[in-house]
Amino acid sequence: MKKYLAVLLGFMLVVSMLSGCTGSKNEDKAEKGKDNPYRVAYIVRSQSDSFAAWLANAVLEEADKYEDMVVDIFDGQSSDATQNALIENAITSKYDAIIIQPNNGEAQRAYAEKAVEAGIITITTNARIDGVNGASSVDADPYEQAKVNAVVALEQIPQNAKVVVLDGPPGNFHADARRESWKKEFFDKRPDVKIVGEEIANWNKDEAMNYMETWVQANDKIDAIISMNDNMAAGALEVIKNNPKFKETLAYGVDGTAEAVLLIKDGIMTSTSLQSAYDLAKALLDTSHKLVTGVEKQIDIDIECPLINKDNVSEYIEMHKKAGAIRN
Amino acid sequence: MKTNRINKLYADMKSKYSIFLVLIVLFIISSIVDENFLSLNNLSNISRQISVVTILAFGQTILIICGMLDLSSGSVLALAGVFSVSAYIKTESIVIALMVAILVSVACNIINGLMITKFKAPPFIATLAMMTMARGAALLYTNGQNIYQIGDYIKLGQGFTFGIPTPIVFMLVILFTIWYILKHTVLGRSVYAIGGNEEAANASGINVDTVKMKAFIINGIFVGIAGAIFMSRVNGGMPNGAVGYEFNALTAAVIGGTSFTGGIGTSLGTLAGSFIVGFLDNIMVLTRVNSYLQQIIRGAIIALAVIYDIWAKSRRTKGTLGKVQAKSK
Amino acid sequence: MNEGIKLRVSNIEKSFPGVKALDKINFAVKKGSVHVLCGENGAGKSTLMKIINGIHQADEGDILIDEKIVKIQNPIQARSLGISMIFQELNYIPEMTVEESLFVGNWPKNKYGKVDWPEIRKRTISLLKKENLNYFPETKLKDLTVSDIQMLEILKAISYNSDIIIMDEPTSAITQKEVELLLKKIKELRDRGKSIVYISHKMDEIFRIADEITVFRDGCVVDSRVKEDYDMETVIAQMVGRKLESNFPKEDIQIGEKVLEVKELTNHGVFQDVNFFVREGEIVGFAGLMGAGRTEIMRALFGLDEYQSGEIFIKGKQTKIKSAKDSIQKKMVMLSEDRRRYGIIPVRSVKENISLSNLKKFIYKGMLHSKEETDTIIDYCKKMKVKTPTIETSIESLSGGNQQKVILAKWMLTDPDILIVDEPTRGIDVGAKYEIYKLISELAKQKKGIVMVSSELPELIGMCDRIYVVTSGKISGELERKEFSQENIMRYATQVIS
Repeated sequence: MKKYLAVLLGFMLVVSMLSGCTGSKNEDKAEKGKDNPYRVAYIVRSQSDSFAAWLANAVLEEADKYEDMVVDIFDGQSSDATQNALIENAITSKYDAIIIQPNNGEAQRAYAEKAVEAGIITITTNARIDGVNGASSVDADPYEQAKVNAVVALEQIPQNAKVVVLDGPPGNFHADARRESWKKEFFDKRPDVKIVGEEIANWNKDEAMNYMETWVQANDKIDAIISMNDNMAAGALEVIKNNPKFKETLAYGVDGTAEAVLLIKDGIMTSTSLQSAYDLAKALLDTSHKLVTGVEKQIDIDIECPLINKDNVSEYIEMHKKAGAIRN
Repeated sequence: MKTNRINKLYADMKSKYSIFLVLIVLFIISSIVDENFLSLNNLSNISRQISVVTILAFGQTILIICGMLDLSSGSVLALAGVFSVSAYIKTESIVIALMVAILVSVACNIINGLMITKFKAPPFIATLAMMTMARGAALLYTNGQNIYQIGDYIKLGQGFTFGIPTPIVFMLVILFTIWYILKHTVLGRSVYAIGGNEEAANASGINVDTVKMKAFIINGIFVGIAGAIFMSRVNGGMPNGAVGYEFNALTAAVIGGTSFTGGIGTSLGTLAGSFIVGFLDNIMVLTRVNSYLQQIIRGAIIALAVIYDIWAKSRRTKGTLGKVQAKSK
Repeated sequence: MNEGIKLRVSNIEKSFPGVKALDKINFAVKKGSVHVLCGENGAGKSTLMKIINGIHQADEGDILIDEKIVKIQNPIQARSLGISMIFQELNYIPEMTVEESLFVGNWPKNKYGKVDWPEIRKRTISLLKKENLNYFPETKLKDLTVSDIQMLEILKAISYNSDIIIMDEPTSAITQKEVELLLKKIKELRDRGKSIVYISHKMDEIFRIADEITVFRDGCVVDSRVKEDYDMETVIAQMVGRKLESNFPKEDIQIGEKVLEVKELTNHGVFQDVNFFVREGEIVGFAGLMGAGRTEIMRALFGLDEYQSGEIFIKGKQTKIKSAKDSIQKKMVMLSEDRRRYGIIPVRSVKENISLSNLKKFIYKGMLHSKEETDTIIDYCKKMKVKTPTIETSIESLSGGNQQKVILAKWMLTDPDILIVDEPTRGIDVGAKYEIYKLISELAKQKKGIVMVSSELPELIGMCDRIYVVTSGKISGELERKEFSQENIMRYATQVIS
């Protein structure tokens, strides 16, 4: 029994080593005639996070377009420790560039700095780590994402409205920044609006559903659902979508998921803002390429976060159809 | 003599049915505190909200009574759920989708059972391993993306059967099933015996490994059904869904008087435990208790339930000692 | 008053709830001598030693060292008074090294309060050299044999400078060769002026090593003499002593065909080549000292433990038994000696405990028929005089005797052909004992074959038709009813088989 275990462990060790080496293998294969491709390590926050996974897929797709650049993806598994170790490994493996999608910006700061010190091009993204000297960044600003919704909501939400708010996990950079944005851009300007319920639904649809079901019991009228992401907004809408009493209820999210654009198309959801994995991926690869080829030394850009509403929803449905997230 | 007997009866009632008393008290207090609590709609909402976790909790109940537990039920639920959703998209048959959910989940639970019976892995470790594997498999299968546009699949979680929300119907059918198994079958008695004293059960001619496997298969069926209901309720195939549900299920079972030392627990107790959590969550949201405070209260309730469980047990043994002493005098 | 007395015990009394464990114990151990204490299991030897070692406190009486009264509250005090005890069951930490174990709890420290490892190494090596022992200080205890560890315990006693070394059945778990080594070491220590108290009931060993012998029985000292004044017969007679006082409900039953026959049953290192048979209506006893292997034989037979070779015949048909379930299906059941571990399901009711092995009986159309079950169980409880408020009462709230009856009821309900009872009356009060004997007799009358393992000789002599004596995993003797006597049984039980 022990023997088998030892063999199994040995096998697993070999596999893990091989998988860690795929990058260098690609390099060896590259013909000398062509340029040796630049090697980029992309440290993903977590492959279990649906946006992060979408972004990772988009990055891989985009990378295919570059002949002189290969991207290796590493899964940070929502853990600071794992992610930091992966960054260190990438430094040791002498990648030309490291893209970090931090699990928790501050926890990865020192490691991003290490990468810069090692002379490796370092890019932080979704969300950027501010103030790392010599590092570049590509991001969609969470404050801005919420703001584009908050601005239209100022006009749309009626006087003395009753609203409910669905929050992401506390301490999460995007969750906090989006909530802050709603506060400054909407609630501070509209003291007449009353929050009749606010709960942490942890980005989850099922949790948002449970809260909404209870709020519906306690309130005859809910004028708007203000949600920090589309998933939770969709959960709340799942509860009231067939209830005539809440036909007029407005609903705002962020992310521009396939589900959200479908809901907007059906007139159930009001608006969301797109955090486009494709745009982000495109910008990331473009930035990486410019930096590794030495065209530029340092770049900080934000991709746009367009508002999606009934007027322009069809173009985003097309986008999701192309990606296969929406069928027919 | 007579008062003695009445006292004994009262003590019996208190220890056996105390959890229902707690439930009733909580119900009455909630009704007074918030006028919206006591409406048919709200109560039906609560039942629907707790249905998925309660079904998982029934599975946990049979396992805990048998001296085991299942940490993988949340992840296996997600895996079974996403397979079920994609089976529905391909076949448009709810029956096939449901069967797929059950098959996937039972397969995972057979692996759990084999790890525990054949390789003697502690249930905690074995199901912890399965928890990680099943979640990984669900993410791999869906590429980490939610599956949308699931059409009529939502009837399972959002529809009505005989005028009752379908998830509640499932919950009640499963309640009856587990009640029947625990109360009226050889398997049920064996489960209690193994949890109470595994070695004595073995020496009494019970095939311990077979019973444990059966307990896991039953758990698998429940988790599979819960997976289908969950995905239907959230109107999507969510590989990241139901994270931490295994702990909610364990909580319901423990509050309901299922003892982690094994051999003790009932289906109705678990149902009551689940409703206590459901009522509590509902009334805290209705009365707009601070979200962070809610977590503290939830934790305190679990601690109280476990302390009460231990206290009630020590009282029981003390009571008998008292009796023996009285006799010897 | 007496020259050369190192340890004296004077009028020691000790009671545990319900039992008088020791009654006015007196004896003395001389300097530079080996004093053997012998007696049956439960005679009080170990209790006395625990009092001397400070684990228990005496209710009355004194302990004197060098004829001065000492108070011993705990083992640490005992050690400082020069008393070391080597227990029958050695407790040790497998991951510890030899040197660590020698100084455990007593580590020398340097001036900074840190454990002084170089000092430990130095002392260990010099100690090993002095005692002519060949161990490495860094060897882990898990890599040593039981006898090595015993030797280390002795070494530890020497390192504490103990003058009195108590050994509780030190040879129960070691091989003959190792026994020789141990006895040699003991003699060496005696010659250096140490006083050794040696507890054993192996006759040949006792007579090889003892200078003086004290015999215990039922918490009293029967006699104490120098070895030269004793012979083996006298010691055995004094050990068993008491007359058969209680009457046993033994009935004359027509003995029939063989129901169980065991040939050459072997589980290496536990028991070897065990042969015996049981006939219808016969009660067959298994006597022997603790650890002789009686329980292990029965466990293997009942399918709880494995055995490597041998044949089992039930009613003339050869069978293999792989599990308890197997055995029960073949109508052979066993009442275990450890009721809490293998008998009862403590948190469940009397009813559930009884029906546990019989559930198939109450199944109708896939459902447990609860009225049938309840009626049957109430019936059995009445028949077996189980005292319980209701059959729904949890079994752990019943007395030991009633618990035992519940387990017996469970087995009777399976309608067995062969009933093995291992220590059926252990921990049960006298009244309940008699009822259990009656039940066993009743079962024999119903033509069942009964195997009765017991450490209480009167019980075996009173109830059995034949008795096998087990010594060191082998059957060392078989006695017919007319040959029954405690002396005969003890002679077989204490002989050494090489």
